[in-house]
Amino acid sequence: MAHSAPRYPLATQIPGDVLDAEVAELVRLRRQPPVRRLAGYLRLGGPGFMNAALTLGAGTLTATMLAGATFGYRLMWLTWVSMGLGVFMMMAAARFACLGGFAVVDMQNRYHGWIVGSGLTALVGTVFVAVAFNFGQYSLGTHLLESLTPFFGFAFPRQVNWVLYLGLTSWLILTYGRLAGRGARLVEGVMKAGIAIMLVCFGVCLAVVGVNWSEALHGLVVPWLPPGGPGLDLFIAASAAAVGVMDWVLLNYAGLTRGWGRHHESLARFDVTVGLFIPFVLVNLMVGGVFAATLFEQGQPPETAPELAAALAPLLGETWAPIVFYVGFLAVPVTTTVGMSIAAAMALHAAMGWQPDTSSWRWRASALLPQVGFLAVWYPNPIQLIIVIGAFLSLTNNVVGWSFFLLLNDRRVLGADRSRSYLWNLGILLQITLLNGVAVLYIFNRLGWWI
Amino acid sequence: MIDFERQIGPWSVRVWGLILNFMGNALALYGAAGVLRNGSRWPILIIGLLLTVGCVLILAIPTPDPTDTDRNDG
Repeated sequence: MAHSAPRYPLATQIPGDVLDAEVAELVRLRRQPPVRRLAGYLRLGGPGFMNAALTLGAGTLTATMLAGATFGYRLMWLTWVSMGLGVFMMMAAARFACLGGFAVVDMQNRYHGWIVGSGLTALVGTVFVAVAFNFGQYSLGTHLLESLTPFFGFAFPRQVNWVLYLGLTSWLILTYGRLAGRGARLVEGVMKAGIAIMLVCFGVCLAVVGVNWSEALHGLVVPWLPPGGPGLDLFIAASAAAVGVMDWVLLNYAGLTRGWGRHHESLARFDVTVGLFIPFVLVNLMVGGVFAATLFEQGQPPETAPELAAALAPLLGETWAPIVFYVGFLAVPVTTTVGMSIAAAMALHAAMGWQPDTSSWRWRASALLPQVGFLAVWYPNPIQLIIVIGAFLSLTNNVVGWSFFLLLNDRRVLGADRSRSYLWNLGILLQITLLNGVAVLYIFNRLGWWI
Repeated sequence: MIDFERQIGPWSVRVWGLILNFMGNALALYGAAGVLRNGSRWPILIIGLLLTVGCVLILAIPTPDPTDTDRNDG
């Protein structure tokens, strides 16, 4: 019935009757009252949560912590604006999967050329980013394990604990797309749990340190730009963190892996809003708020994520509060490593024209490629490097954004299912304008043209 | 009505619009830097903003479709 079109190879493991039952459930949910529909969508959703877990990584949280510790509440507006605009592009990626039924890189290659599709979208925007950014996840994750274990009476140095980090994340990465489709659901479930842990833990920490509500509200609604140099790089990295190419790619391919079709689009929209937008904004506001209320007040904050976390821990007071903070923070790199590695494998296969097969050695090697990040354990400050790389990558984000916008509006690609909404197009164009602005700011900053 | 899919040289009208928007964004930020630094470059800022707003408002118009029978072939 709903799945007569050729399916993405990773979705072929899902039995047809399972997919048909899901479609029937979606049709049934559409007639239910909002609360029941919400509960049903929460159960069936997943790719959006995966995106939130992917996006909420060491780079994003470091930028948020630094922004809170350096500028207080003043950059908070950026969180909801950048992700709010990002939602429009995510909806386009979902449309490509649900109504188009195509993998976006293939279509970019066909209509916009190999450089935009395989080159900028798959290899640079996804694979390279996954490998480079995973150094930051390892650095943060192993530091956090090292800092957490003394509370329980034993030492677990990062030069050793990276093996645990590698083992846990590799198992999750290789589980995705296997077990007759249940692997994807299992990994998505872990991502949902990771987000829940972050929300609870950071929420508790914020309750402990308190909020200056008048300054926080001012920072939420009044846009403000930091002056040039490192401050601007931080702003650029924070902007790019919410709207990365990898997020768009992952949503498209994760949707295809779940067998999303025409009846899934309302679920996809819910997933992007409730699974991605809300957790992303809440976690960033909580973390930024914690650092604005503590280290910003003291001045001269440290520059790396582990140092920031270590500086914050004593300010949280009671022993249990730092533990809660470290546990919540540990979910950040773990879920991001898993999400990025899966995205990298999908993108590498798309770029090279390989058929994805999770039982093949090629898939395993592609998925585990970012795990080379374990070398960060012996590198002093990879997070700062990641902020610089993140800012540099803003130069490619906008071109890929153009490509997505063009595909969404192309009659040859989506036919009658192309965008018919002026507001949707307007949202995407505002995001493209933000991406353009970020890329231009990056160049101006390098040339010394900014203030 | 603008035909956004009409080819002009190597690209469609919509692509040229995106390039024009990018130029507007760059001009606006270049002007903004001058205004914030010493109050200069107001005209550049205004031209950049007008170009940006104009491009965004026009490019957001969905592709018109006389028949809607041409489904995706890929």
